[in-house]
Amino acid sequence: MLRLLATLRKEWFLLTRDKAGLALLFIMPVVLITVMAVIQDAPFKDYQEVKFDILTVDNDQGRLAKHIKEGLSASGQFNIIDTLNGEVLTQAVALKKVNDGDYKIAIVIPKGATANIVSNANSIVNNLVQRMGMSSQLPVKEKQDSLNVWIYFDPAAKKTFKSAIHQSLDNFLTQVETNMLLERIQMQLKSKDSTAQDSFPAIQLKAVGLKEVATTTDHKQIDVVSNSVQHNVPAWSIFAMFFIVIPIAGNMIREREDGSLLRMKLIPGSYLAILAGKMLFFVGICVVQFYLMILVGIYLLPLMGLPKLVLGHDHIASFATAVSIGFAATAYGILVGTLFKTPNQALNFGAISIVILSAIGGIWIPLEIMPEHIQMFGRMSPLSWGLDAINDIYLRGGNLWKILPDIGRLIGLSLAMLGIAAWVEKRRIA
Amino acid sequence: MNSIVVKNLYKTYAGALQPTLQGLSFSFPEGKIVGLLGPNGAGKTTTISILCGIVKASSGEVTVCGLSQDASHREQVKRVMGIVPQQIALFPQLTAYENLVYFGNLYGLKGKSLRGKILDYLEAFGLEKAAHKEVIKFSGGMKRRTNIIAAILHDPELLILDEPTAGVDVQSRSMILRFLREYNAKGNSVLYTSHLLEEAQQICDEVVIMDEGKVLVQGEPGILIQTLNECRNLEDVFLHYTGEAVRD
Repeated sequence: MLRLLATLRKEWFLLTRDKAGLALLFIMPVVLITVMAVIQDAPFKDYQEVKFDILTVDNDQGRLAKHIKEGLSASGQFNIIDTLNGEVLTQAVALKKVNDGDYKIAIVIPKGATANIVSNANSIVNNLVQRMGMSSQLPVKEKQDSLNVWIYFDPAAKKTFKSAIHQSLDNFLTQVETNMLLERIQMQLKSKDSTAQDSFPAIQLKAVGLKEVATTTDHKQIDVVSNSVQHNVPAWSIFAMFFIVIPIAGNMIREREDGSLLRMKLIPGSYLAILAGKMLFFVGICVVQFYLMILVGIYLLPLMGLPKLVLGHDHIASFATAVSIGFAATAYGILVGTLFKTPNQALNFGAISIVILSAIGGIWIPLEIMPEHIQMFGRMSPLSWGLDAINDIYLRGGNLWKILPDIGRLIGLSLAMLGIAAWVEKRRIA
Repeated sequence: MNSIVVKNLYKTYAGALQPTLQGLSFSFPEGKIVGLLGPNGAGKTTTISILCGIVKASSGEVTVCGLSQDASHREQVKRVMGIVPQQIALFPQLTAYENLVYFGNLYGLKGKSLRGKILDYLEAFGLEKAAHKEVIKFSGGMKRRTNIIAAILHDPELLILDEPTAGVDVQSRSMILRFLREYNAKGNSVLYTSHLLEEAQQICDEVVIMDEGKVLVQGEPGILIQTLNECRNLEDVFLHYTGEAVRD
């Protein structure tokens, strides 16, 4: 115990005297998390909170155009713009504005679109009523081919964005067509039933709706959506924790170079106790880093207009995850420090390997939106195990039981890395 | 009892074409100051590393203070032995006092007795005023002296020093040599390596001159000098046995 405590004390002295090291461990991650959360806020909001201006050219002046404009406005995602500089928008102006990149999207509702829908509905109703042995003479005009609502997109618009707009407009068109058809059927039915004209029930088509509910493991409702803060704070905290590989590897190589490691090995007693003291210290640093980043997510980021980080219900599971990530990061640092001979080699390898593991492990962007073959590699990254466990706790309401496989993998990998480091060190003596 | 017994020691490092030690054998009794001398590449540091247990011999036997240097006695051997490596094996960012407390703790020493011992040694080595200064700010001589204190905190019977006076000024060297004599006068044994043959002649009861992993000659410096007519000092004896050729 004395060896362990003495090592903890020694590491504390060494850390507190290394101002640059302290900045690297605590200030840089705060800056990193703040910057990443701010710059990634817009992409995360893309289809959730950001409002887009949508140029609308209404050549129809009918019910379809009115319904589309009302529907888009009601969705809360679009600002309908139908005049520019006090002038009614024309198709040519809208097209130019989109091409110039001033606006992302323009829609043009063609002249006669509503009339075409009405005529089509009338034709269907006439047909139906006649088949029922009754007469119907709703006016039908000759069908106009290739009458389309035109959508112009900024060439730089994302495919998913285009697809979402396309689906929304298609939905509005269908709604208008269905409503008009139902109205005409109702109208015809009323005209045939002269006894109860006023009390005839309205036709309600929507019998089954959709309702979104977030599911959680313990059936507790968590009112959290994945946003920039909810992704970036845990993700970059894990990244920063793994960056501890650099001070640890540097510390180990320096000890080997300046001979203090040799002296420690010449002293009777288990070197394991010294190593355990070192590990305990750095795992502690990782855990402090983690909770410091959590505080940034809760208190600092909201001051910048970002959402507040929401924690899950199981704080013990969260602590266990932080300890497991810290253990894996420390073990990786010890392995790198054992394998490499110079601080430069360890620094370059350590930094680049963490960047790669973080990139494929879903730290930069969520793993789910990566190509499938990259996801396969990503799921082998210890950083993704850590992030998965945190997301389980924070977003899915998971508990210790739920994250056990992830922390089991982290601890298993740590023990394997320590085993390799011990084997390499033993070979050096031989 | 012999302080060190080395019998027919061989060591070939992995990937090396030539063995570093080729049947090295020597021994010396307790209470002596012995110099292990040899040109660069003679195998001195490998011999010391095997004595300390940080390098495994390919074959041969090593006994330290009556204890065999094998896995079963390694911890006991470490207890009776103090090592002053060639490197300054201290944490540069810690003060001399913090370094000594840490290494003392690793030896299982603590409390007032450790603090008292550290302060006594710092005073004996003229470092009391620099006790709370970071080692990185020390001169070469101050670092060497602190390096020695770190090896004797547990009062070892045998002190092994690898070039303890390399790169230090005359005053520091004189202080270190005076300490070694005093330490030896308490009945402790000292094995040290040096390239400074005048110093070895002055301080050693016996010298072991080795080259190419073998012992060339062992004896008291005075007797070795007398035996060879053409030699006036230990350096002449050394050159007689190891030759004039420059080593890499």
